[in-house]
Amino acid sequence: MSGSLRLGVDVGGTFTDLVALGGPGGGITTAKVLSTPQDQSRGVMNGMRTAEIEAAEVVAFAHGMTVATNALLERRGARTALVTTEGFRDVLEISRQNRPALYDLTRDRPPALVPRELRFTVRERTGPDGLLLPLDEESLREAVAALREAGVEAVAVCLLFSFLHPEHEQRVGEALREALPGVHVSLSSEVLPEFREYERFSTTAADAYLAPRLSAYLASLRAEVEGAGIPAPLVMQSSGGVVELEVAARNAAACVLSGPAGGVVGAAYVAGLSGYRDLLSFDMGGTSSDVAPVIGGEALTSTEAEVSGVPIKLPMVDVHTVSAGGGSVAWVDGGGALRVGPHSAGANPGPAAYGAGGEEPTVTDANLFLGYLRDGAELGGEVVLRRSLAGEALGHLGGRLGLDARETALGVVELANTEMGRALRVISVEKGLDPREFAMVAFGGAGPLHACELAEELGMRTVLVPEAGGVLSALGLAVSDLRRDYVSPLLSDLAGVDTRKLEKAYRKLEDRAAGHLDAPVYDRRADLRYRGQSFEIPVNANGLSSPKELASRFHDAHERRYGYRMEGETAELVNLRLVATVAVERPELREAPAESSERTERREANFGGEWREVPVLDRAGMGAGSRVEGPAVVEFAGSTCVVRPGWRGEVDEVGTLVLKKTGAEQSFG
Amino acid sequence: MGNRRLDPVTLSVLSGALSGIAEEMGAVLIRGSYSSNIKERQDCSAALFDAEGRMVAQAEHIPVHLGAMPEAVRAVMEKGPEPGDVFVLNDPYSGGTHLPDITLVSPTSHGGEVLGYAVTRAHHSDVGGMSPGSMPSGSREIYQEGLIIPPVRLVSGSEREGEYVEDVLALVLANVRTPDLRRGDLRAQIAANRLAEKRLSELVERRGRETVLAAFEEVLSYTERRTREAIRGLPNGTYTAESELEGDGVTDGDIPVKVSVEVRNEEMSIDLSGTSGTVAGNVNCPLAVTRSACYFALRVLLPRDVPANAGTYAPLSVHAPAGSLVNAARPSAVVAGNVETSQRMADTILLALGEATDLVAGGQGTMNNLVIGGSAGGWTYYETIGGGQGASAEGDGPSGVHVGMSNTLNTPVEALELEYPMRVTRYELRYGSGGGGRHRGGDGIVRSMELLEPASLSLLTDRRRHGPPGAKGGEPGAVGQNLVNDETLPPKASCELEAGDVVTIKTPGGGGYGARN
Repeated sequence: MSGSLRLGVDVGGTFTDLVALGGPGGGITTAKVLSTPQDQSRGVMNGMRTAEIEAAEVVAFAHGMTVATNALLERRGARTALVTTEGFRDVLEISRQNRPALYDLTRDRPPALVPRELRFTVRERTGPDGLLLPLDEESLREAVAALREAGVEAVAVCLLFSFLHPEHEQRVGEALREALPGVHVSLSSEVLPEFREYERFSTTAADAYLAPRLSAYLASLRAEVEGAGIPAPLVMQSSGGVVELEVAARNAAACVLSGPAGGVVGAAYVAGLSGYRDLLSFDMGGTSSDVAPVIGGEALTSTEAEVSGVPIKLPMVDVHTVSAGGGSVAWVDGGGALRVGPHSAGANPGPAAYGAGGEEPTVTDANLFLGYLRDGAELGGEVVLRRSLAGEALGHLGGRLGLDARETALGVVELANTEMGRALRVISVEKGLDPREFAMVAFGGAGPLHACELAEELGMRTVLVPEAGGVLSALGLAVSDLRRDYVSPLLSDLAGVDTRKLEKAYRKLEDRAAGHLDAPVYDRRADLRYRGQSFEIPVNANGLSSPKELASRFHDAHERRYGYRMEGETAELVNLRLVATVAVERPELREAPAESSERTERREANFGGEWREVPVLDRAGMGAGSRVEGPAVVEFAGSTCVVRPGWRGEVDEVGTLVLKKTGAEQSFG
Repeated sequence: MGNRRLDPVTLSVLSGALSGIAEEMGAVLIRGSYSSNIKERQDCSAALFDAEGRMVAQAEHIPVHLGAMPEAVRAVMEKGPEPGDVFVLNDPYSGGTHLPDITLVSPTSHGGEVLGYAVTRAHHSDVGGMSPGSMPSGSREIYQEGLIIPPVRLVSGSEREGEYVEDVLALVLANVRTPDLRRGDLRAQIAANRLAEKRLSELVERRGRETVLAAFEEVLSYTERRTREAIRGLPNGTYTAESELEGDGVTDGDIPVKVSVEVRNEEMSIDLSGTSGTVAGNVNCPLAVTRSACYFALRVLLPRDVPANAGTYAPLSVHAPAGSLVNAARPSAVVAGNVETSQRMADTILLALGEATDLVAGGQGTMNNLVIGGSAGGWTYYETIGGGQGASAEGDGPSGVHVGMSNTLNTPVEALELEYPMRVTRYELRYGSGGGGRHRGGDGIVRSMELLEPASLSLLTDRRRHGPPGAKGGEPGAVGQNLVNDETLPPKASCELEAGDVVTIKTPGGGGYGARN
């Protein structure tokens, strides 16, 4: 039989999630198994067994992972060297020369990915207008000899002004590949052909640092799955699109946010099926929360990310992460104020309610005490939540503030919400987006617990809770488009660019894309600024009749973001960007109507300080058309949703619980 | 005051919201601005004040800016600001610090009521005066340092409905070398101030006027509590230290700086008596800058999570004799007081407090101010260069960073060469320049630049003769050095350069900590 299943597999630090779409009846098959860090491909195969999927049924396999992210976070990448222009050996270490904390004089920046003793220089120099000093071959030979001696796995080649004049870097790269076969080489002019040396060098160093680990991982995964008769995996990039495995292995720095990107794409996909295209995604887990904006069904990307103290200026889904999660610990600071996080109780000892030795109350304890989580609930078949323990810990902490357990629990939830509300503001209000025009997609273990209250705080009136919220990243992988990003530096006054020149430059990028992808769809973008500014704003450059039109879009975008426009000033074009995508087939999801009777329990839960007996619904017993009226609690397989007073919800045709603030129906639909 | 107690939760929530507003102001300012100084180096700051002129929240940018803001707000409050107004000022003797720092103060109002003030302060790349870049090393009175702007309306709320007061703008632009950049930078500052008002209004609508006003009170008293608690942790006593500035730009001799810090229970007083009188050159400080340095030193002692606001200043008193180097009067020249004397005061206070508690060794103690302006006009380049931070009990000192009262970014080499007729020939760490000890001080930086056309150079630097001190038996960091080609220049210097000349700045290393084994 010929296959029809699209497989998405997200390998995280603890769990490997799997989603298969396209089975008979529009169903969705999911599995969650433990990750196998020694050989992640085993976890993938375990997941398939658990979900009872035959290799022959699989038509496409997309993969997201945290290999690159973790190697960067834990600084466990390759032994990497740097070759740079003589006189500029320490650019990576000096960074931008500012200290990370204004008043903490002992704190330093994270150590550079390449230590002093592995930074080598060659005599050469180009400038804005071209060659200043030819590459000295003798100095290159010396650098190569020193590198051989140093025994490195990867080399980043980062020369000044290579974004305009890449020839010297190319020559150094050629010499290195010839002399040191097997050593990975990244050229800054290929990784990120943009100005500002520190950010370019940093991105390139990250690329070199991660490439050997990532290629080894992907090679072993490929061997394993191909052996089992499954198509070679496509790999999720930070941009929210997938690429072929070989391409991913060659562009390691583009994969650092592979995991979170899947979640945002998944959120955009399920919300789209319910008819919502402008979204703020809200993924709250045990130690942190990720939020991201989606506009018109597309995850927004930016090129300004910093991951683990390393600037990586490649297109990445615009995910903002804050350290507020279910395990965030509540404490009282020296001035007598209640605080939550950033410290997390993690899985061990975990929240006080686990009874595993944790004595400090966490956000989870507060949610349990307030009746949102079920007393006695089992987590992962091992841990049992005990409300009495949560109450003790909260009461103990509150005693120091003159608060009882209930007041403390309400405070802890409110503070966690503040932190997350601030994150949501960063990705909406601060980008000129009005959250009131967006729907929130809540997922992750704790997202649906906090969603309604956060939405109220931001004036949002719709919250979507997808059924597959526990495996949304894997779902996103299964439906991700193939995507490649291209950039061409083009520093010039917009007034001096005519339509033909612009068209020609985009065509050139499109020709490159056509060589990489099969019949892609193009999305043209441009980075602009007013001459004299240093930060560019990305502008849609599709369907332009003239550069003038591009200028007018830029003035609008500037006003939206910063509150003013300066039409009299010269607009400057800095980069042309092209996003080329090949859409994959996106199967429909379908939710069956509710079977006969829904199970409904009741329990006490606290809203605004008042205990009320509220209905508790089991999501498994609900189906298309099932309704819920707040206050209520809906228990999903991997999370719990709190429906606050004034909210009302219905499970729609694709299985998403759509919650609305009462009285808001007329403006959203 | 004190009768509107907020619960500890609402307090934390609003404290976070207020600093979020200040941070967003800072981001809008940096991204919208035109001067390299502001957009690349982030030499600017933003803060929110209450209606009584007390700072309630700040974006953590440049310490010397932030500590000196209360005077700016006070000066504007005396002018009877109305909703919609935006005041501009840079006069160090009326709310400013030094002339290049242009400050905008605007009332933040809601429904016609002034709830507080939004403040942005940015170091503009030129405000006129005797030399390009407005950071002359040889000025003898403030009139040589640039256009002096007392607090005046740049935007009028009442008369012209939020439009520029064109006459004022025209006057400012006519007195600066790069008027287009000034116009753009001021526009970005106004946008940031306006944003603060919008966000504060939204907060009032969400949380209620009473709650927000109560939060102003409470974040201040909370911070004050934490500050008093930290001071109480220090042994009572009087701690003294002496140091020096290396020349004032007119004469090259050392200028004594003396501090005496008294810790009594939960209060601290800093007395700068014994410090030199006002000098002929430009290292003098208005009182605002002196206070700023004292605030910084105190803030360093506090736990990391204490918010920075006026509550920190309440238990602190500062005594600086009138007419001294650290409390100068018009028309004393002050341009380097803000950047160099402020550093030395903060250093020396921390040196004194090192007897009372375990602190880091001395950092480079200078900002290494470097200004190069085209002889034919049209461009000015201003840079401050990082150096070694002092080592501490916790480990070696960071290398190649800004210490003390500054925290600006560098100008990227590629941005610099695209914008100015100069070529950077070296930008590296100065290995081994950190002082030895159980923990080593951080290393300084070497930065060399070749001029491609004639220009004038102005240097305001320090620690060229006396290295930053070590702590607990650690050795001092290496002194810095200023060179034009092979010729060493004094700490404060200016000269004309030809095309082909190479300027090299070697910045000091940080002091070591503990005796070497």
